[in-house]
Amino acid sequence: MSVQTPDSVLDRLWSPFETQSGSRRSLFLMSPLILFELLIFVVPFAMLVRISLSEQSQSLPYAEGTFTIASYIEVLQSGFLQGIIVYSFRLGIIATVLAVVLATFYAYATWRADGLLKSALLFSVVLPLLTTLVIKTYAWVPLLAPNGTANNLLLAVGLLSAPVQVVPNTLGVVIGQVYIVFPYAMLAIYSVLSTVEWELVEAARDLGAGRARSFVEVVLPEIIPGITVATIISFAWSVGAYSAPALLGAGSDRPFALEIQEQMLLNFNWPIATALSTIMLVLMFVSIVLIYVVLGRFGGDVSNAA
Amino acid sequence: MSDIELQNISKSYGDLQAVDDVTLSVRDGELLCLLGPSGCGKSTTMRMISGLETPTSGEVYLGGENVTDQAAYDRDTSMVFQNWALFPYKTVLENVAFGLKMRGDGADERSRRARDMLERVHMDGYEEHSTTDLSGGQKQRVALARSLAVDPDVLLLDEPLSNLDKRLREEMEIELKDIHQEFDKTFVYVTHNQDEAFTLADRIGIMNDGRLVQVGEPTEVYRNPTNRFVEEFLGDTNFVAGEVADVDDRYASLSTDFSETIRIPAFEPVEPGASFTISLRPEFMSIQRATGADSPAETTARADGTGGDTIGGTVENTIYRGSRIRYVVDVGGEDLFVEQSVADQVGIQEGEAVELGWNTDDLLMFHPDGSRVGAE
Repeated sequence: MSVQTPDSVLDRLWSPFETQSGSRRSLFLMSPLILFELLIFVVPFAMLVRISLSEQSQSLPYAEGTFTIASYIEVLQSGFLQGIIVYSFRLGIIATVLAVVLATFYAYATWRADGLLKSALLFSVVLPLLTTLVIKTYAWVPLLAPNGTANNLLLAVGLLSAPVQVVPNTLGVVIGQVYIVFPYAMLAIYSVLSTVEWELVEAARDLGAGRARSFVEVVLPEIIPGITVATIISFAWSVGAYSAPALLGAGSDRPFALEIQEQMLLNFNWPIATALSTIMLVLMFVSIVLIYVVLGRFGGDVSNAA
Repeated sequence: MSDIELQNISKSYGDLQAVDDVTLSVRDGELLCLLGPSGCGKSTTMRMISGLETPTSGEVYLGGENVTDQAAYDRDTSMVFQNWALFPYKTVLENVAFGLKMRGDGADERSRRARDMLERVHMDGYEEHSTTDLSGGQKQRVALARSLAVDPDVLLLDEPLSNLDKRLREEMEIELKDIHQEFDKTFVYVTHNQDEAFTLADRIGIMNDGRLVQVGEPTEVYRNPTNRFVEEFLGDTNFVAGEVADVDDRYASLSTDFSETIRIPAFEPVEPGASFTISLRPEFMSIQRATGADSPAETTARADGTGGDTIGGTVENTIYRGSRIRYVVDVGGEDLFVEQSVADQVGIQEGEAVELGWNTDDLLMFHPDGSRVGAE
């Protein structure tokens, strides 16, 4: 391509793209995706932000045509709503740590297994994905309720003297939420782990590293990308948890998704609901960038500590 | 003390018998090559020395100590892997220092020793490189340095050169031999490459089907193969099968599949009607143009009365193999091949009638079950 003499500002802006004929083509190829994202995410989100900047109204969900940041101030000043944000993040962190740790062990076991056992381990992770979320979450109720199977069994054996209130309770919410995100976390880690060469672990053991040490020194740095994906999926989903707290939680188990639903559908206070959504979205975005940066330090690049 | 004793070790995976009752002793400071085709159990045998596999039965002794149930990380052995198994998320220096770090050496000490080792394998200057940037030969050197750094009693090498090109491989063979002499350690070297084994080994152990077939010095196993497998595996040769026709006091005649009779030494079991396979090694055979007296079609083997034997045939193919020429000679419908140095060649063309000659006493004879006639 010959050197261009740019004669307008538009031409000058476009010229970097001109030098690479491929980028125009890729822009063309990406256009359905860009259109889809615009329609499904960007436009509705812009509408949502617009509503959050409207005045609250007594008779309507929000007052059209008004402009104020009152709802944001209200969310940030309300102790009740702050409590809800803190609860959401606590649930997110606890469920994520549990899910990722368990998923790492499970993925490692699946990686090392072979034959029928390997298929069984993989199958039992995928199987729960075939049932709807509500049913499999509800399934915990008869199992964990004070007069449920688990309590009855432990009472009968004599390990418990009085039934434990797991459901409805925070513990039940955590169990349910870990159960929901576990398959996704496991598959994310397993997909990376299955490409790691076992020979590397053998080499580490041969050079004197014990089992735990060889995992930390050799396997962990390799599977950090998988762990990062697992963490982000688990965290985003658990902070925004809805069904586990709704079905397995007590009255005090109120994450922001439940609160937003109530504000939207019961109180018809859309500015508060959308302002809370926007704040959560920003907090989530910051958290995910943080997760990415922190986990990225442990793997993916050569460190300098010999 | 770092001799290795394997006592009746076997390893099976389900129905598959990978290693079958191998007893072997490797002397202190020796370089022993385990040689065999792929799947013969040589790598598994070595992995049982390293502790990466536990024998199904039998015992492993290192320096007189029974280590059969010791884990790899407790054994004073170090292994160089076929695919090098360098840690991708560590620098070259970190890779070499890894074993020292696991041992608990201080940062300065291990960095110093790792640098020494890298210098020894001519990889100084690459300390901060990522291992993924290195060429195959360089990775090989780093893997070697990593294993040598922990100063193991026994160094195990699992086909370490099989991923390198021929020139580099030959260069590394010489270097490995130097390193073996310099570090004075017991080396066990697994390979399927005969040339590598002959170049490097103090002794060679030949394995087939999970069994140790023969152990001995290179010249010994080459000169005196215990069975037909060893003879076939150590070099290209012509096998000719036949039945003993008649026997006199020193020689017998073997009538072969291609309706020739070949003179063979009359050992104890040689009697009329017995079947044998003889090996006509190309290096024992000479080739020359047929002398005019015989017609080209005349292909009967003749004794010249001094232990020599000749057979007539027609050159079917000549193959240049660098410094040597291989002639494929049609003898009564059967192909035999013979090699000649390019320097000695007299320009024999395809289609020419030739005479192949050898000394009857050089022939190696094998029973139908593969065992050698007159061995041991």
